[in-house]
Amino acid sequence: MSRQNSLIQTLQGLETEALAAIQAAPEGDALEALRISYLGRKEGRISGILRGLGDLSVEERPSVGAEANRVKEALQEALKAREAEVTSGADEAETSSEDLTLPARHRWRGGVHPVNQVIDDIWRIFQSMGFVRARGPEADTEWYNFLALNTPLDHPAADEQDTLYLKDSVLLRSHTSPVQVRTMEKHEPPIRILAPGMVYRRDSYDATHTPAFAQIEGLVVDEGITFVDLKATLAEFARRFWGEGAKVRFRPSFFPFTEPSAEVDVKRMITRKDGTRGESDWIEIMGAGMVDPNVLENVGYDAERYTGFAFGMGPARIAMLRYGVPDLRLFFQNDVRFLSQFSTGSPP
Amino acid sequence: MNISYAWLKAVAPNLKGTPEELAERLALLGAPVEEITPVSAGLEGVIIGRVKSVRGHPNADRLSLCEVDNGEEVVQVVCGAPVIEDGGYYPFAPVGVTLPGGLELKRAKIRGEYSNGMLCSEKELGMGRDQSGIMLLSGDFAPGQSLIDALGLDDVRMDVEVTPNRGDWLCHVGIAREVAPGGVAGVALAPIPGASPLDLEVKRGEREVSHGGVTIRIDEPEQCYRFLGVIIRGVKVQASPQWMVAHLRAVGQQPINNVVDATNYVMLEMGNPMHAYDLGKLEGSSLIVRNATKGETMETLDGLEHEFDTEMLMICDTAAPRDIAGIMGGMHSSVTEDTTDILLECALFDPKSIRRTRRALGISTDASYRFERGVDPEGHLPAVKRAVEVILATAGGEVDGPIMEVLPRPWEASVVTLRPARVEQVLGVEFDGAELKALLTPLGFDVQVGDEKAGSRDLRVSVPGFRSYDVTREIDLIEEISRAHGFDRFPQELAAARPTTVPDHPLFALEDRLRTVLAGEGLFEATNPAFAPTHEGEVEINNPISMEESRLRTSLVPGLLRNVEYNFARGARDVRLFELGTVFHGAGAGEPPLEDLHVAFVVTGRREPEHWSGAGEALDFSSVKGLVETVLSESGWDEAAVKVPVAGALAEDHFVPASSVALMAGDGTSVGAAGQVRPDRLDAPAWASQVWAMELKLPSQPVSETKLTYRPLSPFPGMDRDLALLVPYDVSTSAVSDEIRGVGGELLERVTVFDLYRGDGVAEGHRSLGFRLRLQAWDRTLKDKEVDRVVEKIVKRLREGLGVEQRL
Repeated sequence: MSRQNSLIQTLQGLETEALAAIQAAPEGDALEALRISYLGRKEGRISGILRGLGDLSVEERPSVGAEANRVKEALQEALKAREAEVTSGADEAETSSEDLTLPARHRWRGGVHPVNQVIDDIWRIFQSMGFVRARGPEADTEWYNFLALNTPLDHPAADEQDTLYLKDSVLLRSHTSPVQVRTMEKHEPPIRILAPGMVYRRDSYDATHTPAFAQIEGLVVDEGITFVDLKATLAEFARRFWGEGAKVRFRPSFFPFTEPSAEVDVKRMITRKDGTRGESDWIEIMGAGMVDPNVLENVGYDAERYTGFAFGMGPARIAMLRYGVPDLRLFFQNDVRFLSQFSTGSPP
Repeated sequence: MNISYAWLKAVAPNLKGTPEELAERLALLGAPVEEITPVSAGLEGVIIGRVKSVRGHPNADRLSLCEVDNGEEVVQVVCGAPVIEDGGYYPFAPVGVTLPGGLELKRAKIRGEYSNGMLCSEKELGMGRDQSGIMLLSGDFAPGQSLIDALGLDDVRMDVEVTPNRGDWLCHVGIAREVAPGGVAGVALAPIPGASPLDLEVKRGEREVSHGGVTIRIDEPEQCYRFLGVIIRGVKVQASPQWMVAHLRAVGQQPINNVVDATNYVMLEMGNPMHAYDLGKLEGSSLIVRNATKGETMETLDGLEHEFDTEMLMICDTAAPRDIAGIMGGMHSSVTEDTTDILLECALFDPKSIRRTRRALGISTDASYRFERGVDPEGHLPAVKRAVEVILATAGGEVDGPIMEVLPRPWEASVVTLRPARVEQVLGVEFDGAELKALLTPLGFDVQVGDEKAGSRDLRVSVPGFRSYDVTREIDLIEEISRAHGFDRFPQELAAARPTTVPDHPLFALEDRLRTVLAGEGLFEATNPAFAPTHEGEVEINNPISMEESRLRTSLVPGLLRNVEYNFARGARDVRLFELGTVFHGAGAGEPPLEDLHVAFVVTGRREPEHWSGAGEALDFSSVKGLVETVLSESGWDEAAVKVPVAGALAEDHFVPASSVALMAGDGTSVGAAGQVRPDRLDAPAWASQVWAMELKLPSQPVSETKLTYRPLSPFPGMDRDLALLVPYDVSTSAVSDEIRGVGGELLERVTVFDLYRGDGVAEGHRSLGFRLRLQAWDRTLKDKEVDRVVEKIVKRLREGLGVEQRL
């Protein structure tokens, strides 16, 4: 037998022996000892053979070298694999002493008011259609609340909104429409605004009325804005807010500051109490219309050049529909059991 | 506005469709139907009974025993009504029937006599208010006949919601014009049973007309535009015939007598309010339209006495007011069973004058409601003729002379120019002249299409009287076109839009940020109405809903404290609420109040949710201060900070001074306060933990988010030095750390307080504070010596400047 063959046999014998020892090693320290004894730089037996390659002839060297390297790699592999086995075993042993089903540590959970969540969702849709937000005072004058909006004080239309007055001609705005006038006074077209805000009426509290409530106004004014744009914009909003299955209907109505005026109804897909899915009834969700030329003229716009549309909706009413809240007053009681229902995330 | 389906079909003979289909059409025309009710609901089992004989009940004075023919047999019925006519026809509810009020009839023994059903009063049938006696029916009936068939009650009431611009819809003809096939051309008045053709002359005068000793005069032509009167002599006032009663009841109108019912009938049919006077009661046989004199009074038909001012329009005889013009008639000249001669009025009043008087007197009637919304100025003559026809048919009598008409100014229809290009500009769809004419004509407009060859495409549109109030401009016609075309037939394609010139208002972004931060900190957002009770608010509401809501709030904390009480009362211990809202302060005379946007929170309970690992400590000042500082950093104020003392701070009066702080904007103005809420500010149960709050005014122009710039990271290690300092109680921690920072300069990267100790080993009047100083340079590794020099300098300055010693 040549030296070459005998060395290769020795290497293979060492491999068999070492693999068995590695498999049997109980923990990391024993593995480290094995590593040193076979692969250690100074005393390792495989390393020793590799060091001795220099004594071999040029012809013998490559085959022995290749075999020595193969065995070295095989042992390294085996050491690594066994190392992983013994370590994971150690973890299991340690954690089994703790009950992982105990409740986690949480911080307090808070949340945005459900009506404001609805306002946010509505805003995001209109934002993506190029709208910006505008605001105006909650205490305003008869001019902004009625007269500039083409609503004479002695017209029955002014009765529909029983107004809370402060003094003389100063009042709490009965709708967000004054923001239309104030925005147009300050800016030239194109106007494309959404104006959420609180409005006030002389209503007593009941399930569907509160003397203060949020409203969202919208206004678009530019050259070439038509009734088609009104329908398209509001239908797009409704589809995105209520979902693809929602249907939208426009009905003629009357508001002193728009003409033509429309009520917008939506028919949603709902899940009934018995679990079946189906269409809801038509539900009125907003008023809208083409801005009356008198309103444009009142702010100094050229009503022959510019046209526009406006709309208004009640986010609390929409929140009632969306969440199935039966009584508007719940939105003002601020019961934490109620508010926490509209906060997503983990308990409490 | 109640519409009878049967009546509507009577005035629109070719109208097709069920009430539900009609309701759908009306909704799409702008008159949604709120409710559809069968007029006869609950009367299905009630039949006509004929009383064959009546005798006294043997055991009860007030009861009688009736033998009632129900069509199949004669049954005994016990009855409590004072008068029952032998041979009379009455509504009879047999045993087994349930009446509209819910009463189920059973065979009952009353004082020893059996009663097999009930003879009914109006009230028991849900048909009226009269419960004094059972309802004697006039006419020819067959016993056993269904009451619904016999009285023509097979009708449906539709409650139509009429917008304030459409006064013309407050009558059956008005609704019929919209829905009849062919529009106005498809409307016809139904024949009145027993009526014969009339040929009435009209006698006109500008201010005054007389006939046969009767005079009508208008003194206020600016408030009364037209006044028609007609004399009918020899009427027999009594109950109206069944067809009339059925029509009125179908729309919820109470029948009164044949004359009054006739005026109501015509108003409900054609829209013109009318009034009938007992001519014999009018002094000087005159009707004069004038303003009241100061202090003049009159008793109205409802028995109330009213006093008038000089702006109120009256219809008077030569002695006194007999009618509040367009609102309600007077008792004195009302039509009663003794009346034989009547003077019928059909007039037109200024809507504003009616509205003012109606509001001042607090009376609203069917008439005033219609006059305020606009009554057809062309409808008077047809309405008077119709009323005369109905009265002659139902009450008899004869017309004396012509219709007298006082007309200060003849009515002229307005003509509006309509440009097809403008229609397209507003509606986004092109219509040609012929199409526009085809849309407008059925609505009653008289349309002349422009001659293109003559150079104009414009249409000239003449407006009928019944639309003269809401159609005065081109845009009003454009609305009619959109409605007649059908809103659903307009396309809805989304077009590109030019970006707006308006910037997004920065306060919204600020609100968004604060909401996100506070909700993230574990607080729930509350909303409260901006009202405050008298002792809290500054700005008064003129017409408040209640004393508790008679002013506007100046602060959000009180409302949030009410919310905390509400939650305490429901057993909640951990309540964490915040609110963003407007507060109001008084301004100069005639000026709207000043408004500020505030953010506030109120928190009470545990610092963290209950957990098995810990005790669950209550919120303390330090954690609340942390929350406050977080809010301040997002508040839009430049360099806002927490400062002591609280005295003088905005909203300080909610707080316990010893455990609260002022909130200051960078320029030194006080913008709020935070800390422990004064115990007298709320009702807290004994188990409640301390209540903490913050009130912060937000800037009207928030600073935009600070521009962030990169600073190079030092590659060299930093060094920490801990200093234990004996700090006298009158020296604040912030004073010490400010001093440390001042001396430390650029090398001092960070100062933190890591320990607070009081007690053994600490001199009286002092506490021990542990400060950790991190020193670092960005261009070199600091040497110990260098660091020692800085720390020594700091210690020296603390000792000399603040009397703070190092604790060794």
